[in-house]
Amino acid sequence: MIALYIVAGVAVFAAIRAVIEKNTGRKLPYANVLNFAVAGTIVLLLNHPLSLVAAAAYFVGSTLEANAVASTYAGGMKR
Amino acid sequence: MLGEFLHILAAAIISWLLFVTVDIFFRLPEAGGVSGASAVARDIEAGGGALAGGTMMGNIVCSPDASAGTLLAACGVYVAGIPGGLAAALLVFIGNRICHDPGYAGTTGAVLATFVVYAFTQVGFAATDFIAGMVIAILTIQGLSHTHASRLLARLWRVRQ
Repeated sequence: MIALYIVAGVAVFAAIRAVIEKNTGRKLPYANVLNFAVAGTIVLLLNHPLSLVAAAAYFVGSTLEANAVASTYAGGMKR
Repeated sequence: MLGEFLHILAAAIISWLLFVTVDIFFRLPEAGGVSGASAVARDIEAGGGALAGGTMMGNIVCSPDASAGTLLAACGVYVAGIPGGLAAALLVFIGNRICHDPGYAGTTGAVLATFVVYAFTQVGFAATDFIAGMVIAILTIQGLSHTHASRLLARLWRVRQ
């Protein structure tokens, strides 16, 4: 039970820092911590085999989004 | 209650050592796996951090690495024991391929973490301790001070080299 509150607390902290940070490059690691915390929260709230799939799907999806945002921020695909 | 706190703290330290070791072994601080990782590294360096550490942090952002593997393996062990951890490793492997990650840090980290977490559940730890521990571990790298974290990672990377 304590684990859930710690993870949720970290999620809130990371979200606030991601909002406050102005530089996009430095904003992304905070968003990454938020993604970790949300993935952990999903499993801690729902102790079911399928919640692992949900957490992994959320995590991989959010990583792919971060990947896309960071790549675009870096100048996008070079043709 | 205090016992659970101490377990979570110990799990955080174990998770930290595990994922940082695997990431550095797989040379994540060497180069950005995708262009976005290099951009994150550049901004962290501009903020006073170290480039190699920033590159590793950028790689953690842009693809599921050993830290993601450790978190999802702990989640897998929590919901279904060792088979759950190995299922998490498979999901991380698929995630790596989707993100065009050339390395296998995430999958290796997930498989290693599965057995580490399971071993600790046999000596009184709960898998939930490792889920919270991993979130704290990633917070110390990505969420407290980019400058200090990147310098520490760069120092560890120099030892690896």
